[in-house]
Formats: sequence, structure tokens, C-alpha cells
Amino acid sequence: MRPEKAQLVLKGLKEAGVDFATGVPDAQFIEVYRMLAEDPEVHYVGAANEAEATGIGFGAWFGGKKPALILATSGLLVATYHLARINLLHEVPVLVVIPYRGDIGDPRWLGLYKKTTEPGLEAMDIPYRIVSRPEDVVRTIKECNESARAWLKPVAVLLNQEALW
Amino acid sequence: MVTRFALLKELSTIITDDVIVLTSIGNNSGFWGQLKDREANLFHITMGMCSPTALGLSLALPNRKIVAIDSDGNMILNLGVLGTIANEAPKNLTIVLMDNQNYLGSHKHAPGMPTATAGKMNLEAVAKACGIDSACTVQDVNEFRSGFQAALSSIGPHFIRARVEPLDRDRPERSKRVPDPRENKYQFAGYIQRTEGVEILGSGLGGG
Repeated sequence: MRPEKAQLVLKGLKEAGVDFATGVPDAQFIEVYRMLAEDPEVHYVGAANEAEATGIGFGAWFGGKKPALILATSGLLVATYHLARINLLHEVPVLVVIPYRGDIGDPRWLGLYKKTTEPGLEAMDIPYRIVSRPEDVVRTIKECNESARAWLKPVAVLLNQEALW
Repeated sequence: MVTRFALLKELSTIITDDVIVLTSIGNNSGFWGQLKDREANLFHITMGMCSPTALGLSLALPNRKIVAIDSDGNMILNLGVLGTIANEAPKNLTIVLMDNQNYLGSHKHAPGMPTATAGKMNLEAVAKACGIDSACTVQDVNEFRSGFQAALSSIGPHFIRARVEPLDRDRPERSKRVPDPRENKYQFAGYIQRTEGVEILGSGLGGG
């Protein structure tokens, strides 16, 4: 991901009011993680796995933070137990941002995640939007975060095509 | 060896109203809900998620004392959180780990299946090796009381591993309904909003 595109993700998160972020670094999104970790207005917690990160974000919400989970498509699979639980049982919001590896157009052999990412979110009843154009990144992150907080449930943003590459 | 219930009963007599308590699913939630009906409780945190949740909350509310009542099966599902806790180093976090070395036995009249701590794994040593310097093991009520009070009056993070009986032979008759997860969410979030002056539960703009 080029730094100017990572910057758009950061801008969206900050304009959305996200002040707490957690996850496990992903190769495609490494610039986003670095920027979050260095940002003085965001508390970034590097977790050991994405289920742990989900629990950390869940706890931060109860303390008044506006949390975001930054997850790889592979990491979404690791997070599912806790993510489904906080969505379907507790009904607690977190914004989930995913670089959509494995989608059509991804040059690497990651088609597995085409089969798991959107069906997985649907199975967990987590609404999502796919963003393909850089000019839509900031607005979509803000809208998804607003809906998450209003609905008290996780909402996901998936970045693909020119928004990601 | 002491029982989980005996330790929770002791905790219920020494805990102050302002200390936030998070409990993992199962008998940690069920017993604590019977023993101490209070606003500062967050119950039913699922396998592997109790200590991560307590970490997130302790970072969000650095001026409140946070206590996680976790267990061995829960902890080893997400063991990496001990390293995360050590590095984040929340001064206000105490983890009490009810180590009964056992899966599922707590609801039964016979032991369930052993966890790794029934074998060679020592979670106090793991916590220390992860970088949580204040880690100890307690095996009776007196050790628990002094360890807990020392933790709450000093800079954390703290890790108290309580070696407890595999079976909850002294489980109490259910006399009280423990709030369900959604009900508990609204109660607890409302309590935090009121006592900490933060907004948690949305905009309140309503629909229509």
C-alpha cells in the first residue's frame, strides 16, 4: 500500500473519532499500523492474535473509547469467535477495517479469502461496505463507524482495487 | 487446597464499590453474581476474552482499578495476552486466575478433562516470563486476601494465580438471577458513563 493511501485510512479513522485501535500487522496494511502506532491521538495496542484484539477493543469500548480493529482477511478468521460473540450476544460496536486480500484483482494466490471474508461477515451478521476508489475511503470509514455506534454492533470496511493497491 | 467459591466469597467481603470486576464465563460469573450484586461488574466474558477485555478497559480507564477473574482454560486459549499486558503495563490491572486445572469439572460431580496446568504448565511462571513481574501463586484464603490487597494498593499489572480445587463442591444454591449479557452491558456502561463522565451508549438521537 502506498503511503498516501494509508494516509487516507488514517484520516478516515481520525475523522470518525476513532481513538483506540488494535490488531495484528498485515503486509498489505503495514503502513496503516505504523501510522496508528505513531499517532499521539490514537492508542494502538499490538495484540498477539485477532481474537485477543477483539477482546481488547470490546473492553476499551466500555471505557468510553471508540475502538477500531484492523484485521487482515486471514485474521478475520482468527477473530470470528470473539467477534461473533460481541456482535450477537453482547451487541457492542467496533469498527472493523480489512485490506481485502484475495478479492478479484489481487495478484497473489489468496483466493481462499474470497471464499471466507464476505460469507464470514454475513454469517456473523456484520454489515460491511467494500471501498474500491481512494476518494471513497474517508467517507466510508466515517459512515461505517457512525452506523456501528448507532446500531451497537460491529460494522466492517473492506478495501480493494485502487483503494488498496 | 481451597475452593473457587471460598476465594470469591472472601473477595466479596474486601472489594470496594469503585473497583471494577470482570468475570469469565461459567462459575466465575455465576458465583460472583450470586455473591456480589453490584453495578461495577461485567459478566459472561467468553473463553479467552476476559483478560483481553480487562486490558482494553484498564487502558481506557487508567484511573480505575480493574480486576479480571479469569481461569486456566480461558487463559491458555489466548495466552499471548500476557505478553501484551506486560508490554502495555496498565498500572491499574489485576488478574486473578482461578486455576482448577480442569475443563468442565466445575459443573459436575466428577472432574472434566485436565487443562495443561494439570500437567507441566505453571501459569505464574508463564506470566513472569511474559514480563509481568508481579505474579504469585496463592493456595488458601489468607494468602489470597493478602495478595489481593497488596495488588490493589500497588502499581500493576498484577497476576495472582489461585490454585483451587478441580470441583466446586461448595457451589451455592442459585438464589439470584445474574443479568444476561445485553442487560449487563446497559447496566455496566450506564454505570461507567455516570461515574467516569464518558459517552459510551451512542448519540441518543433516536429514530423516526
